[in-house]
Amino acid sequence: MNNKVNAEAVLEDQELIAKFLKETTLFLGPDPEIMQSHDIMPITDHEVECLEKYTDSHQMASIRDRMQSACDESYEMLEQMGAAPGAKWGDVITGIYSASGDLTIGSAGGVLVFSVLVHHPIKFIIKNWINEPTVGVRQGDGFIHNDSRYGNIHNTDQSMIMPIFHEGKLVCWVASTVHEGENGAIEPGGMPSMAESPFDEGLKMSPFRVVENYEIKKDILTFLQNSVREPKLQYEDMKVKLYACMRLEKRINEILSTDGPGAITACLRSTNDNVMTEVRRRITEWPDMTVRTYGTMDGTLRENALIKVNCTLTKKGNRLIFDFTGSSPEISNRAINTALPGAKGMVSQVFLNHIWPDMPRGQACFAPIEFITPPCSVVNASVDAPNSQSLMAIFLSFAVAQQAVAKFLYSVPVKYTRVIAPWYNMISTFIWGGVSQHGEMLGNLCADLNGMGGGARMDMDGEHSLAPIFAAMADIGEQEMNEEDVPFLQLVSKKMTRNTQAPGKYRGGMGYTQIVATKDSDMWGFMTTCVGSKAPSIQGLFGGYACGTYPLCKVEDVDVYDVMLKEPEKFKHSIEETMNEQPYEDAKYTTHHMGLGFSISNRGELYMISQGSGGGYGDPLERDPFLVIKDIEENLITPDWARKLYHVAFDDETLIIDEKATDKLRADYREQRKRQGLPYAEFVKKHVKSEPPKDIPFYGSWNSDMSVVYAGSNDDKRDPQNPGPIYFAHPKDVENVKLEAELESVRKEAGIPPRDNRK
Amino acid sequence: MKRISVDIGGTFTDCFLVWDNKYIETKALTTHQNLALGFNEAIEKAYHELNITMEDILSEVDSVRYATTLGTNALIEHNGPRIGMLVTAGFESTVVLSRGRGYGEGLDILGKNNMPDAQRPAPLVLPHMIEGVRERLDFEGKLVMPLDENDVRHKIRKLADKGAQIIVICFVNSVVNPEHEKRVEQILLEEYPSHLLGAIPVILSHRVAGRKGEYVRASSAIVDGYLHSTMYYAMTQLEQNLRAHSYAKPMLVIHNSGGMAQLNSTDALQTIHSGPVSGISAAEHLAKEADLGSVVATDMGGTSYDIGIVVEGGIKHYDFNPVIDRWLVSVPMVHLVTLGAGGGSIASYDRMYETVAVGPKSAGSDPGPACYDRGGMNPTVTDADLVLGYLDPENYAGGDIPLNPKRSTFAIEEALCDDLDVETVEAALMIKEKVDSNMANGVNTELRARGYDPEDFTMLAYGGNGPLHCCGIANHLNINKILATPMSSVFSAVGAGNMHQMHIHETSLYLVLYDSNSRHVFDNYSRFNGLVADLSERGKADLLRQGVAADDILHSLELDMRYGNQLVQTTVVIPKHTLESAIDVLNILDQFSTDYGKRFGEGSQAPEAGIRINTIRVASYIEHETVHFKHIKPVAEDKRQKPPKPAVTRACVFPGSSKPVETPVWNKNDIPAGTEIAGPGIVASEVTTYLIEKGWKYVSAEQGAVWFLREDTKN
Repeated sequence: MNNKVNAEAVLEDQELIAKFLKETTLFLGPDPEIMQSHDIMPITDHEVECLEKYTDSHQMASIRDRMQSACDESYEMLEQMGAAPGAKWGDVITGIYSASGDLTIGSAGGVLVFSVLVHHPIKFIIKNWINEPTVGVRQGDGFIHNDSRYGNIHNTDQSMIMPIFHEGKLVCWVASTVHEGENGAIEPGGMPSMAESPFDEGLKMSPFRVVENYEIKKDILTFLQNSVREPKLQYEDMKVKLYACMRLEKRINEILSTDGPGAITACLRSTNDNVMTEVRRRITEWPDMTVRTYGTMDGTLRENALIKVNCTLTKKGNRLIFDFTGSSPEISNRAINTALPGAKGMVSQVFLNHIWPDMPRGQACFAPIEFITPPCSVVNASVDAPNSQSLMAIFLSFAVAQQAVAKFLYSVPVKYTRVIAPWYNMISTFIWGGVSQHGEMLGNLCADLNGMGGGARMDMDGEHSLAPIFAAMADIGEQEMNEEDVPFLQLVSKKMTRNTQAPGKYRGGMGYTQIVATKDSDMWGFMTTCVGSKAPSIQGLFGGYACGTYPLCKVEDVDVYDVMLKEPEKFKHSIEETMNEQPYEDAKYTTHHMGLGFSISNRGELYMISQGSGGGYGDPLERDPFLVIKDIEENLITPDWARKLYHVAFDDETLIIDEKATDKLRADYREQRKRQGLPYAEFVKKHVKSEPPKDIPFYGSWNSDMSVVYAGSNDDKRDPQNPGPIYFAHPKDVENVKLEAELESVRKEAGIPPRDNRK
Repeated sequence: MKRISVDIGGTFTDCFLVWDNKYIETKALTTHQNLALGFNEAIEKAYHELNITMEDILSEVDSVRYATTLGTNALIEHNGPRIGMLVTAGFESTVVLSRGRGYGEGLDILGKNNMPDAQRPAPLVLPHMIEGVRERLDFEGKLVMPLDENDVRHKIRKLADKGAQIIVICFVNSVVNPEHEKRVEQILLEEYPSHLLGAIPVILSHRVAGRKGEYVRASSAIVDGYLHSTMYYAMTQLEQNLRAHSYAKPMLVIHNSGGMAQLNSTDALQTIHSGPVSGISAAEHLAKEADLGSVVATDMGGTSYDIGIVVEGGIKHYDFNPVIDRWLVSVPMVHLVTLGAGGGSIASYDRMYETVAVGPKSAGSDPGPACYDRGGMNPTVTDADLVLGYLDPENYAGGDIPLNPKRSTFAIEEALCDDLDVETVEAALMIKEKVDSNMANGVNTELRARGYDPEDFTMLAYGGNGPLHCCGIANHLNINKILATPMSSVFSAVGAGNMHQMHIHETSLYLVLYDSNSRHVFDNYSRFNGLVADLSERGKADLLRQGVAADDILHSLELDMRYGNQLVQTTVVIPKHTLESAIDVLNILDQFSTDYGKRFGEGSQAPEAGIRINTIRVASYIEHETVHFKHIKPVAEDKRQKPPKPAVTRACVFPGSSKPVETPVWNKNDIPAGTEIAGPGIVASEVTTYLIEKGWKYVSAEQGAVWFLREDTKN
């Protein structure tokens, strides 16, 4: 009896404590329960009722078509009315979410990944604001959000979220999202590499109401405009997103008037259920096996390092499990980490654009797929780690997932698209900011990020600079339009970069050169944010080669606009000529990794980069010699490069192939390969090392040992489940220490007493 | 009025002859080897009817007008000349890369989203036939790098050596300063003077497209160059044929802008899609003549469903960057959207949602629907229509194509019935309802994205399958009135007969009407007025060159405007063509605000972000006499007559029940104008089937027009 009384008392105590804690929460940070799940919410009693009542699959199809049409209409509005460069090239999306917050129907166009990540903030609103007396959720409300720790890829993406009611009852949600760019971070353009903590990343909007009764609240708008470099953009696009949501609401109201709220609820739930069933069925078709892939970032955008993203993909029955154990711990003061939803979102993009492009664009397509990530890793960073350059981690996640999946698809009898080598995965573009020729403060980026080279296919070459990995039908834009708004010219805008392809039986699609120079502004600058200047950011497939490495080249202390007018013959339209010939006297020519922090550029100084190539597919020795010659003819590769990589014999003048000589060259090279080959055991003995090289700061697991992760040196091994913080010194501090040491050394040699640093 | 208008399509050459009060429709097969032969055959039928000679006709008509899809076909067949191209150095791959997205232009949504299958279309200019020239201008046309003439000569020779048959030139910012493009043309003429055999034709991009966007302008110039010789020879053949038959006036060519011009004032690019655009023009004319208000013109054929919008009050809907075949171009073209839905659209089982999917794949005409008995195994919309009893297997297409209902039944059973667990008729009904709903969604999106409600529109239905499905489509849209057009078999040719001679000139510019930073409202009126006057003069000169009297020339002014840095450019029609005071500027801002609010929602305007004009466009035109359709309005209800006895009855199945209904069937020729028939019913003609669904009534009118009116509305 006493025990029972005691137990009840303990229970009561616990409840009281829980109640106390809930009532005295300091603040509502990102909710792990929401953020860790990508599954569809459990079915509600109301949904069960609706499904029982509305059983006509054709009525459901009709409602679904109308909702899809509404999403596409609002998407078009967003793209047309949006002021952000991202909006103009399709870096937007709209969607309809169930009353529980699951994305069910996304617009056919746009960046899908945004939309599958907006269910997190909606679920946050449902959990925390609906019953909160000081907030609440009402018809005509609009909630804004951009903090990627609550959902989304990065803080440049802003969403407007609107609840849809019918006779006072919540029926569903709609949302519109735009990559806005500028967000008041320490560097312009919204994706600061310099961010050392979340507080350097600009606006951090957890979901909050900014619209009441369909009107933007002016006091909040004013605050937001004052928090960013582009107040005009902030205003215009908030309005645009609101009106896109209102258009969606209008269309849903029309469906409500013809079919009623129950039918909409049934349609949303059954759509998700049907899609998940189909996904499981498709997974069942895959062979049961495990595949391991990995990729590396060759830096943090501020210093060199080798940072691993590790992927083990297992299929068993109708389960498909991505396990990222072995990936690098998060870098606590570098911006390259991602919150977990970002990594998941990009992997879902692999499925929706590259594996099952026929599937409807919604959350259900990825919900049945399992995801394992170590806590506090680069692919599942804590809320204290900056993630404004999360693209580095998530794009690498995309690449390793794409490569792993390709190995399964090779053996699947029913394919929904071609088997493909990894797509190029870095945003090789210029982010820019400053005061324009019209006196406006701007901060954003060039649409060239959308020109990533496509991977080679099982039966054909990859397409050059086709689309980013995160969107179909994205646009690399028109330079004449850009030049109206910004004070720099692309002096080389679209010109394929020679000898940068990923070879293979089918080669990857290549990228193009961009050379820019500021012209009509005294206050303008650029930054670039890619890894892959020293180690390729993607690999090839089935013997195809990885992409090349792509550095940043700069020419300073020159005004090329003077040169182009006075000595135009000196100006060169390629990076190779400019850097090799160094045509401008007294200018400074330098090469860098692609993590250029925002730097002010003087008029006429050159910044030069190249988009990258998709991975190659199959052995280059099997490449049709005619395709090799076609690439030479199109100035994609040089004859010597063709000979070296593809072992083809031809006449330099006429490009006529000597087939016999080619066969011999290839046969000889195959023999050479055999001579270089080793039996597996010998190979392992000779090449496989038990630890990472000592001179490379390596982060992540080594070989197949997942019990430890390295944190920059062989002496720093960590527990993957609890790695602890990793801090990098500021590169300028590192440089200062080095310079001071050199200075002290010179002082010592010269007999000058050491400097007194105590001041 | 005496006039000939012709629509030369891929299969048929349609002819519409107006001979005073007589309107004669004729058709002949298109003769691709010499278009004049098909034209002559079509005319022959007409002059037999009039009992006069071809010379009599051609010497008396005020004009002969051609619309043609020849250009579209030439692009699809990919049989144009070898083009050499000169571009600004540093932009050599602009055309090759087609803005990235070029792979998906002209494809359906799956084609766009399927990244591993993405493939750009075979290029019209081979990559190694593109050479960069050392020159550069900035966005205002100021010199950045002078034109290197030695480089130009070198590159021209290089292209000529590689076999260029035509040269296209597209330099960055040439629309604001065309001097470099013009100088290259001079150099080309110096290098390859016209007296030399094989002189190379030259296309300058700024003359083909007046707006900014180096890729879309380049692709416009390329398409123009690619079609140049094909169109030139084909059109010249037609003109010579007319001359040989006593036609002494200039031949007129229909443009996709919705106007027309003489052959010597026509770019090849302007002729593409001129056939379907003529259909929209006919719809516009019909709407005006018969006082229909706003209309949505729909043309449902075998493979596609074209939708065009004609709004009361004359607001034109253009695509300024239309996709032609697979190419995004820059030319103002009357807006027309094409959906992959027609009689040949294939139905399949949608496993995921356990329902029927229809299209976008089509069985086309070969093998065609299963019931054609030509080897097609997939069930199509036409198969469903046959199973539902709507089509007469013996008299389809005037009896030219016998239909085999067993094939339809078998195809539907095989593809759908087991999976759906339904009978054949139920599955056929699902196909019909699905395709109707798909087309209705297309119309819905088209209208609503532009701020219109379908309920406010009259639907025009033409094309072989239009009158068969129009009631079903309208049911989804709450549209109450449908007009199956008169002369529907030559409807585009009718449209060509009612167009006006017109030239559009436009210029890109950076003109801020309201600067939100400085809070300054535009006051440089002379700049604006000068630009408008220049464009008007250019249009006037075009028309004067064609022998038009100066007093007859009219102009309309359009401005493409935007808030802040938006992409969207709302086109605003401005009645007053000169600015004289701040009131004029504010009136433009008001007009813009009204049009923008209508499209995107009142309150969505953002003038606080600044207001800009990006393009000024002037259409210069003269109005010609038009064909009259005065009597096609439905007669008053109390004056309508009852239908004659139906020719036969057939068991048909209609939406709402899978039980067959014995349905009366009439021949259209038996039904005089002013007859009302309550649905359900069928009226069959040689070219189409008019399906009167339950809840609709059929009212015949003059000139072969047919109205479908919803029973519960007063019409």
